[in-house]
Amino acid sequence: MAERRLECSWKRHVVEQLKQRDRVQRHAFEEIIHQYNRLLEKSDLQTVLSERYQSDKYDLQNRHDSSPGLDLSRNDSLQQEMAQMRIRHQEELTELHKKRGELAQSVIELNHQIQQKDKEIQSNEAKMEEYQRQIAELEGECRELRGKLQDLEQANQTLKDEYDALQITFGALEEKLRRTTDDNQELVSRWMAEKSQEANKLNAENEKDCKRRQAKLQKELAEAAKEPLPLDPDDDIEVLAEDSGKGTGETSPNRPLSRTPSKRVSGQSPQSSLLGSISNIFGRRPGNSYGSSPECTETPSGVCADVRVPATALHVFEAHDGEVNAVRFSPGSRLLATGGMDRRVKLWEVVSGRCEPKGALTGSNAGITSIEFDSAGSYLLAASNDFASRIWTVDDFRLRHTLTGHSGKVLAARFLLDNARIVSGSYDRTLKLWDLRSKVCMKTVFAGSSCNDIVCTEQCVMSGHFDKRVRFWDIRAESIVRELELMGRVTSLDLNHDRTELLTCSRDDLVKIIDLRSNAVRQTFSAQGFKCGADWTRVTFSPDGSYVAGGSADGALYIWNVLTGKLERTLDKNHSSAINSVSWSPSGAYVVSVEKGCKAVLWSDM
Amino acid sequence: MADDKDVLRDVWFGRIPTCFTLYQDEVTEREAEPFYLLLPRVSYLTLVTDKVKKHFLKVMKAEDVEEIWFEYEGTPLKWHYPIGLLFDLHASNTSLPWSITVHFKNFPERDLLHCPCNSVIEAHFMSSIKEADALKHKSQVINDMQKKDHKQLWMGLQNDKFDQFWAINRKLMEYPTEEGGFRYIPFRIYLTMSDRPFIQKLFRPISPDGHTHTLGDLLKEVYPVAIASDDEAKRYQVVIHGIEPLLETPLQWLSEHLSHPDNFLHISVIPAPSD
Repeated sequence: MAERRLECSWKRHVVEQLKQRDRVQRHAFEEIIHQYNRLLEKSDLQTVLSERYQSDKYDLQNRHDSSPGLDLSRNDSLQQEMAQMRIRHQEELTELHKKRGELAQSVIELNHQIQQKDKEIQSNEAKMEEYQRQIAELEGECRELRGKLQDLEQANQTLKDEYDALQITFGALEEKLRRTTDDNQELVSRWMAEKSQEANKLNAENEKDCKRRQAKLQKELAEAAKEPLPLDPDDDIEVLAEDSGKGTGETSPNRPLSRTPSKRVSGQSPQSSLLGSISNIFGRRPGNSYGSSPECTETPSGVCADVRVPATALHVFEAHDGEVNAVRFSPGSRLLATGGMDRRVKLWEVVSGRCEPKGALTGSNAGITSIEFDSAGSYLLAASNDFASRIWTVDDFRLRHTLTGHSGKVLAARFLLDNARIVSGSYDRTLKLWDLRSKVCMKTVFAGSSCNDIVCTEQCVMSGHFDKRVRFWDIRAESIVRELELMGRVTSLDLNHDRTELLTCSRDDLVKIIDLRSNAVRQTFSAQGFKCGADWTRVTFSPDGSYVAGGSADGALYIWNVLTGKLERTLDKNHSSAINSVSWSPSGAYVVSVEKGCKAVLWSDM
Repeated sequence: MADDKDVLRDVWFGRIPTCFTLYQDEVTEREAEPFYLLLPRVSYLTLVTDKVKKHFLKVMKAEDVEEIWFEYEGTPLKWHYPIGLLFDLHASNTSLPWSITVHFKNFPERDLLHCPCNSVIEAHFMSSIKEADALKHKSQVINDMQKKDHKQLWMGLQNDKFDQFWAINRKLMEYPTEEGGFRYIPFRIYLTMSDRPFIQKLFRPISPDGHTHTLGDLLKEVYPVAIASDDEAKRYQVVIHGIEPLLETPLQWLSEHLSHPDNFLHISVIPAPSD
């Protein structure tokens, strides 16, 4: 408490002393000094003005110093001069006022300009704000877009990664596929090899079987030759459907030997009638050895005769009661077979320039379309319009087999070279391969078009078709090896004796020779009047392959020379209607042609 | 505390009425009238006498003018002392207004410093402030300030702006509360009859045993002559800013409130007037 009072006392003392001081020193003199300074300013101004006036006045006074007496006039003049000075000063004053007004005006203008500038500045600032706002917006958009871009890039990256992964798996799968394909191919080839082995085995077995049967047959024949056999005229005609007989295993030629004796044999001593019976069984060919199968003296291998171009008709005769469709010489050149629409195959013998009828083979239910002898000449195969092919033994004219199975008329049937199989082509667009021992159709191939003619080589079957194609079939594989396209429907095929050239006749009236090794058309034959008469018009090589003979629709027989390619001869006198088929004898001496009008003509060059 | 603010304002706005007379031997074109002016106690002579110079230059020829300098009754007035100090020291008990003679020639090289321009005054002022802060705070506060603060102090003084000056100066008047006061009190004791220009010593505001020092303690310590003993008549007056504070006034308070703008307590010891 005492301290506070003490503190207050000295502080109060200081405050009071300061106030006292100010009163004395400052307040007393403040006003006086202020007024004094104002008066000083005024007096300075007055001094300046009075100096100016003084100088003028002294000038005047100096001028009028000489006449002190003229006080009044001096006074007047002084007054005048004063008045003038006053006027001058008034003018100066007005001028100064004017200048002040102008300055004020300029001040106003400058103010105005300043205001305008301010407005401009404001508008500029507003624009700047606007721009800044826009910039902010754009930056926002930019950020968004960048964000989106990043997302897209990420998505792209993931897609790329997925794609890469998929590529890798794809590569792996491809590898797998390749490997499995390789395995597959290997397996297939092995399977094919095994199949071929099997086929080989089968073939070998078949051959063994065949040989066994032949041996058996020989043995039985030998046995049979030892005993007299009664012959029974009533023969069982075996009509075998294609599906039966697989289990029998016996060949048909054995049956008649064992079961059906013919009763035509007259009572002769067994020993001496043996030859006669044998000759009865096997045909009138005394001096021939027994056994049909090994008889192969007449297989036309190689050029056995000199071929002569026929020039004249030796014999014109009525062959059938209707159209004659097919004609064929037997391999031995002695026999001639013709087939016609009267359902018969007639056998003729060429004797001294004439054809003597030898016999007829019956059994077909419709017209005969093609005839072939087997290579031995002991069997005859005929294809017929009743959808079946038939085999007769030549010597006793007996029907041995009927091969049914086609669903259309059989247009051509041929023996394969081993004589154990038959291939037939039909209007039902199939080719069927028959096995003679089992009498079963072994294969059916769908050719795609009605087959008009067939020829066979060792490996290959060639068929000519309605669709202008010649198809080459591999016998073991059931597939087409090659196809050859001609200009017209193929009506006839023929091979030369060494089976290197194929002769084709087609509806475009061209006869072509095709080289089988190069599969190219080597030669084309045509002639002015040569027209193919029907879809089954048959042409033929000469036995040595140097001539080609074909019959035309106008009944003329045309013979071309293969070497020159030119027409050699035209024989047109003797036929009155279209020639259906031509056959050249293997000896080369005779040519027989048959026509629609039931006639057959034997030609030779004599 | 309102008192303290009033004290500060009264100290800042203190004025001395002065009459400036041109020295009679100066060559003039015509007679020069004296110039009267209220000088601020806290400023410096050459800072506030532009008008005086202009007034007297009106009556003088240019070639006769050299550096202006002032004297009072033969004593050249040092411009680097605050005006209040000069008055208290030389003319404290004379009649007002204070008559100063203005010279333009014969600059007393031995007694006065040259003052060619205001930056010299600024440099002197700032160095005084720094010296004071060195004593008060070991220069920490003044060194922590930026250059613009220093400039603000000077501008406040130059343009007579109390608020502008004290905005910065109050930082210099702060002290950590545990100390109780400044480290040392910046003061100078001026004597009229002495060879020394002033007395300046290290003196703490708080004694080691916590006792607050007063003005009396300071004088006893530094210039005991100034204090009269009880039986003698007072021989000296101790004047600060034109007043005689009581001897029991705390020194710390005096330093905070009665310092000049340069943060020093300028104390004048003058002979007491004999009535």
